[in-house]
Amino acid sequence: MTQTQSVMLVATLLAAVGLWLLLPRGEGWGRKLGILLALASLGLFASRLPRLGSTSAEVIFWFLAAVTVMSAVCAVTLKSPVYCAIWFAMTLLGTSGLFLFQGAQFLGVATIVVYAGAILVTFLFVLMLAQPEGHAYYDRVSWEALVSACVGAVMIGILTMVIGDAFAPKSFTVDETEKYVTLTDGIVDPIAGREVPQRTDEILSDRHMDHLGTQLFSRHLIAVEVAGTMLLAALVGAVSIAIQSKPLARSAGGARHG
Amino acid sequence: MSHADLIIFVIMLGKIALILFGLLTAAAYLVLLERWIAAWVQDRIGPNRVGIPLTKIKMFGLGQPLADGLKFIFKEEYTPAHVDKFLYTLAPISILVAAILPFAVIPFGSMLPTFNVGGEPITLQLILAPQIDVGMIFVFAMGSVAVYGVILGAWASNNKYSFLGGLRSSAQLIAYELPLGLGILGVVLAAGSLRLEDIIDQQATSGTWNIVMQPLGFLVFVIASFAESARLPFDLPEAEQELIGGYHTEYSGLRLLLYLIAEFLHMVTASFLITILFFGGWHLWGITGSAEDPVTWVTALLRVIVLLSKVMGVILFFMLVRWSWPRFRFDQLMSLAWKVMLPLGMVNLVIVAVVAEYEPQVLAALGGSRTALVAVLWALAILAWLIAGIVAPLSTDNRPRFEAVDRI
Repeated sequence: MTQTQSVMLVATLLAAVGLWLLLPRGEGWGRKLGILLALASLGLFASRLPRLGSTSAEVIFWFLAAVTVMSAVCAVTLKSPVYCAIWFAMTLLGTSGLFLFQGAQFLGVATIVVYAGAILVTFLFVLMLAQPEGHAYYDRVSWEALVSACVGAVMIGILTMVIGDAFAPKSFTVDETEKYVTLTDGIVDPIAGREVPQRTDEILSDRHMDHLGTQLFSRHLIAVEVAGTMLLAALVGAVSIAIQSKPLARSAGGARHG
Repeated sequence: MSHADLIIFVIMLGKIALILFGLLTAAAYLVLLERWIAAWVQDRIGPNRVGIPLTKIKMFGLGQPLADGLKFIFKEEYTPAHVDKFLYTLAPISILVAAILPFAVIPFGSMLPTFNVGGEPITLQLILAPQIDVGMIFVFAMGSVAVYGVILGAWASNNKYSFLGGLRSSAQLIAYELPLGLGILGVVLAAGSLRLEDIIDQQATSGTWNIVMQPLGFLVFVIASFAESARLPFDLPEAEQELIGGYHTEYSGLRLLLYLIAEFLHMVTASFLITILFFGGWHLWGITGSAEDPVTWVTALLRVIVLLSKVMGVILFFMLVRWSWPRFRFDQLMSLAWKVMLPLGMVNLVIVAVVAEYEPQVLAALGGSRTALVAVLWALAILAWLIAGIVAPLSTDNRPRFEAVDRI
């Protein structure tokens, strides 16, 4: 195990314990310790992540990343459902900012439209009707704090190590006879042995929508079709539910005024 | 940073300042205009006395926005004890931010001719962020974020009238986002781009505005944008006869001002979108030239004037509608969205898709005349509208029945 990996492991463990302490269980003890542990783990993660090119890019990235992570922690640890929803919205805005920063304009804006704009607003709408303060304890407070903290930490750990490994500087032995471009410390797709398209070209291109459409409807056509069929099924289900409740509404009409 | 970069940076800051200042001033004077129009429609005297302060010069009441603003600033900033303080403060800020941000991608004209500053050639586009490829969805996204201002303000106020306003608002805005998107899709399909400049260019090049080709899409989009900006007849979230002031009942002073400015800015955004998507943007036959013509200073200026006049016309329409149409009942509002607007939007999308895909064949079948095509499209639109009106009339059976009236 390299030094980076052991640091990542410690950071993940710290994150798990901090999250466990932060999750609401009805009492206030240990929250400050939880915040401290979470910050320490974030610091450890940050110390091992690769540096970006320029200072301004670094500042923007770290600002957006900090906003996203902090809001995500707030979203799962706060008690009031409305505040949780707001912090979740903040997380989505941060994520969208990160997407925009990477040049993925459509993804960034679509995140806001779909998640922050539609789903979360529907969620708030339900929260308003549900009167969360009036319900039982188990409706308001998340339980199985230990399990959720562990699962979250394991996932973060695995993702960091996998992604960290994938993006670490590497060198491949490239067959000279195949006339492939050799990149000693760039990103090379080892299976195809060809150079992955330069990311900078995609970022600077002003035809994001074009690119996305071509990808979706040529390479990923079947996935799009399957997703469309599933959405259609959901739509049919919604319509059938709406039709079933109709006679009830009609019978209530005159009686109230009689 | 090189010399040219510095100039571009300064120009960018200038653009931002100009847009912010212009928008806030425009919102203030639109309030005055709305009060004038209200007075004119209702046959009474509107605000016409406030002129230059400390003098007796009246200037048709042009000083009124200043007086209004000062009144708002000097009013007591009262926070009721029963509110959720953090969200109560956050809500008006978020709605104003979401109302201003769309103007980053809205063009105010086409580009200026290349000019030299200190030996550097500079081509200036009259839009804040010309490199955004998804302008249309960006405006849409900011519109959906604006819902937060209303819902949070309503929830944090801890007042049942505000709460009802918030409920109505979230249901209304969620329902009308769908027809709004469907109205846009037809235009996007015709232009093949989500960029607002490209949509204008396409209309300028072909010379036919989208309203001619997609009357149904126009209808759906206009009605949905009325609902999204919560203007009468769709002002249920703040219906003052029913809900006192709706979601901003508990607000006073500057925070209320933020809400009111945001409301007017939504109307301005909607007017810009209607103009750009359906009325050809800066294009006007014979005056502004087509998209390929090289821009001169005269045409550049004319394009700005044409665009802003069209926007002004749409705003006047918004204001006249306010005094000529009764407010919908909530169930009518919902059935209009789901039973009329949504199917009509889909019909429009299908028609536009067919025309876009098979345009040469369709034209050949109609004897090659574009006028015939337009006539067929309009006939289809009117037919669809009639069918929608017959199938889903805006009356529902939850009013008192005959027997009930007899017994009373």
